Amino acid sequence: MSAALDEIIDLFSGVEPQMRLELLLDYSRKLPKLPDHYQKLMEAGAGRIHECMTPVFLWVDRDDEGRIHPHIGVAEEAPTIAGIGGILVKALDGCTQEELDAVPSNLVEKLGLHKVLRMNRTVGVAALVGRLKKQAAL
Amino acid sequence: MSNEYTHPEMLVSTAWVDEHRSDTKNIRIVESDEDVLLYDTGHVPESVKIDWIDDLNDPIVRDYISHERFAALCAKNGIGNDTTVVFYGDKSNWWACYALWVFKLFGHENCRIMDGGRKKWMDENRAVSTEKPTYAQRDYVAQPQDRSIRAFRDEVRHHIERKGQLVDVRSPEEFSGEKTHMPDYPQEGVLRGGHIPGASNVPWSRAVDEDGTFKNRAGLEALYLQEQGLKSDEPMVAYCRIGERSSHTWFVLKYLLGFKNVQNYDGSWTEWGNSVGLPIEK
Repeated sequence: MSAALDEIIDLFSGVEPQMRLELLLDYSRKLPKLPDHYQKLMEAGAGRIHECMTPVFLWVDRDDEGRIHPHIGVAEEAPTIAGIGGILVKALDGCTQEELDAVPSNLVEKLGLHKVLRMNRTVGVAALVGRLKKQAAL
Repeated sequence: MSNEYTHPEMLVSTAWVDEHRSDTKNIRIVESDEDVLLYDTGHVPESVKIDWIDDLNDPIVRDYISHERFAALCAKNGIGNDTTVVFYGDKSNWWACYALWVFKLFGHENCRIMDGGRKKWMDENRAVSTEKPTYAQRDYVAQPQDRSIRAFRDEVRHHIERKGQLVDVRSPEEFSGEKTHMPDYPQEGVLRGGHIPGASNVPWSRAVDEDGTFKNRAGLEALYLQEQGLKSDEPMVAYCRIGERSSHTWFVLKYLLGFKNVQNYDGSWTEWGNSVGLPIEK
């Protein structure tokens, strides 16, 4: 797993549950804007992850060194999933295939968010992580 | 005035809320959302948040909180028995209607829905704040549950034996049994797909227009009365998967169309479709 993701997990698991929600809100604001060409695809409805109840869109780029660059787009008024997207992009932008493979599918539990988020979010996030791995492997 | 709702007073407009929101002595504005973080990103400045899981559902037993806990929830938010509570939220007021239903269950008299919900407020660029207001504690006396608006499994069973009318507000795929969960909620599955025998299928969101406000009376009558042939003077039960989407339809039928006797079956399909021996239809 990437060192950046380890750090974020430490940050979240080290504080009280209510504080975790505030951290998640911070990360929702850190989710970078999509590059224009992906923004257009998102508006056209492409790239959607259907397991998430909130519209979430994902693309994965690879640079010349084989490093992975995930791009995640989230509908407006959906800060919870935007927060998860913000964490994933922050932690995994520029990661290697090995680092991506090591991301746990129960990331929500590792972050200590499973008790404060809805069960359906947990499933959605697992689907997002799963899709990220699959798409990077293509 | 054939296009007027039966109880137009149950709805207030965003403009009305804007005009009256500073009257915090008599009015409490409550945001209830699906997204647990949404309130924190900004809300109607005077509003408090009430969460459908954390605040209204018992953490252990599958049931609502006790009436003592409900009283404490109101008291903490500065809601007295005479306070007018205005609910609004995301997703066309889906969760706001659910919170209103629970407030009605505990006998709170003056409840309103802000028509168009959070989306309309934001689209109109009205005032938004991230500060969480607090209000002086009030005394609150909760009533025993008003069972006339809540149906239990065995009552629903008797209701279908009498060929009573039911409305299933889930998606057509859930109704037909093709899917055992809502399109985007794969974890809330059941062992059997289908619907309660005799139910009509009117997905809840058909009751709202594009902008999130409720359809006008003619539009609602066309849907429930003409298209589905439901009768407003006969007993009616609404259900979905856990009783939240159907509280939206319950609100529409009871207050906007004036159905005389509507109950929300909160056990809904996650109870019915998992129960041994109950009849279903596909």
